[in-house]
Amino acid sequence: MFLTKLAFKNLARHRTRTLAVGLIIAFAVFFYIMYDSLMAGMNEMSYEAIIDYETGHLQIAASAYWEEEEKLPLDHLIPLDLLRMTSLAEVQGYQGSSAELSFQARLNNGINELPVVGRGVVPEELMSVFPLSDKFVEGKMFALGEHKVVMGKRLADLLDLDIGDFVTLLVRDKHSTFNTIEAEVSGLVHTINPNVNNFVVYVPLDIAQEALAVGDAVSKVVVRLERKEQAPLASAQLEDKLRAVAADLAVYKWDDVDAISFSRYAAAENRIILGIILLIAGIAIINTVILAALERMREIGTMKAMGLEVREIVYLFVMESTGIGLLGGLIGVVLGALEVWYMVRHGIDFAALVQLDMTSFGVPVVGRIYGKWNPNAFITVFAFAVAVSFLSSILPGYWAAAKDPIQAIQHR
Amino acid sequence: MLLVLNKKMHKWLAGILGCLCLVLLLLPQHTSAMTAEEIIQRRDSNEYVQTAIADVEMVIINNNRRITKTMTSYADRENALVIFTNPRDRGTKFLKRGEELWMFFPDAEDLVKISGHMLNQGMMGSDFSYQDIMESDKLTDLYEFKLIGEEEMDGRMCYVLEGTALPDKEVAYYRRISWVDKERFVGLREELYARSGRLLKVMTTTKVEQFEDRWYPVEAVMEDRLRKNTSTELVIKSIEFNATIPPETFTLENLR
Repeated sequence: MFLTKLAFKNLARHRTRTLAVGLIIAFAVFFYIMYDSLMAGMNEMSYEAIIDYETGHLQIAASAYWEEEEKLPLDHLIPLDLLRMTSLAEVQGYQGSSAELSFQARLNNGINELPVVGRGVVPEELMSVFPLSDKFVEGKMFALGEHKVVMGKRLADLLDLDIGDFVTLLVRDKHSTFNTIEAEVSGLVHTINPNVNNFVVYVPLDIAQEALAVGDAVSKVVVRLERKEQAPLASAQLEDKLRAVAADLAVYKWDDVDAISFSRYAAAENRIILGIILLIAGIAIINTVILAALERMREIGTMKAMGLEVREIVYLFVMESTGIGLLGGLIGVVLGALEVWYMVRHGIDFAALVQLDMTSFGVPVVGRIYGKWNPNAFITVFAFAVAVSFLSSILPGYWAAAKDPIQAIQHR
Repeated sequence: MLLVLNKKMHKWLAGILGCLCLVLLLLPQHTSAMTAEEIIQRRDSNEYVQTAIADVEMVIINNNRRITKTMTSYADRENALVIFTNPRDRGTKFLKRGEELWMFFPDAEDLVKISGHMLNQGMMGSDFSYQDIMESDKLTDLYEFKLIGEEEMDGRMCYVLEGTALPDKEVAYYRRISWVDKERFVGLREELYARSGRLLKVMTTTKVEQFEDRWYPVEAVMEDRLRKNTSTELVIKSIEFNATIPPETFTLENLR
């Protein structure tokens, strides 16, 4: 008990050193918590951005189409008649579905052109699946049969387009023959999904089907459920229903798409980065403890001369180091909690902060990025800081305590 | 005697002149009786080559900006290799092997297959799309041609032909209207249309030269009619017909 008291007295006596080492640990803990929260938040937001504007919770497509989906082929499409025979609404959690005909196109304003992804859609269906209705910054959605398009505001800005302007979409139809869709810009949207903002042009489904010579077919049907957790069950139910109608149709869950897999891969990468942060923090702690031992060599010599045993000196070292770990960890956790609270409540607008388009660095969402509470991260990093402080002091403690008292007192 | 001779000669001359007049009267009727397919085939036999090596200059004009690229091209009926020689693009190569198009970037030392929607892009920023250079030579297999009239173009009489894509044939342009020189059987202008009827591209021949027994267009301008103020001039600086090209020229190994 005496040694424990002495250890804490030592901490108070060397308060500058205690605070300096404590702050290093606190910084590592704070940075870990902040990074973890930000990454978890960004991951969650990117899932939502993909589900809300691209994939929905389930997608129905021919398996041969799905394999080549990246190329947006006009083969292996689904005849809409087939889908009308399937009662999608009976699936658990069903909220809405949207038939889509996706195609490659070049958007032309008469002066320049850009490659885009065209999406032939039924407006009411699209709005029931994707929360686009409040994302219009200008204009409104078209109706079926109208030669009108809706696109991202950012894409429109790139081609200097406004509501009412006319554009030409140059497409290749099912027979690879060039065709054009002449249309008026009827609406501009801005979402958190950069793909929608930069590359997508929505076209009335019937106009797209006519221009692409695909008859009454669509590329896929996107289904929205009440919650994403319902996807596995709803997918199984839907597959049962579809099996009776068309054997080549399959149901793909939101987490089957490449973008989500990529996000998960990125999340795994983040774990590695977090591991590196912890490693650096660990090395900093070890380094500081060794330096502290060297600095206190004469004091150790005196303690030994006064009769303290090696075991007691090591105990003293370990207690002091663990105390610093506890202090730094606590400061880091408190600061981290404040930061996470701010990020969850207000988010961070990185683009405004650095005056750069974050999507060009692969950040999959635009606008403010919000943090996420992750209690596990708090516990993990706090325990890590204390454990490293505890363990890293044992060896230097032994090394210092094993010295001859006379040599230790004369140590410079 | 002289008078008799003169009379005989007069008759003989009159006979020759009469025949000539008849031939002259019949000749245009004979040529205009050519079918659209025959005209296209005459043009094809003139313009398409067994093998050729050419030095070509391409000038891309966008508003007031002019970018000049030079290249050497090796071609046979199925394949073509284009090697850019201007300093900025030196070493960039395109290889057309049958239905495939490959590109090699020397800086990245990377080989890229151009397919799908990439084929719709302008080649090296020009008004010629990759699709344009991939077009099959046998237009009569893909289009049904009709002779729709005769017109003067830059002082030369031309057949005007309209080609419409045959059902179930994969063609880039649904409709094409060609102006073919009536005497030299060289295409002087070609308009390329989308299925919607929209005019997409216009190619105009601005200079034709004779090489032994064939006339060949050596200068042409391509305009992308979906974009304003852009055009691409193509000038053949020199060309060697029926050149010997080693078969390995058109291999992917040679592209690297």
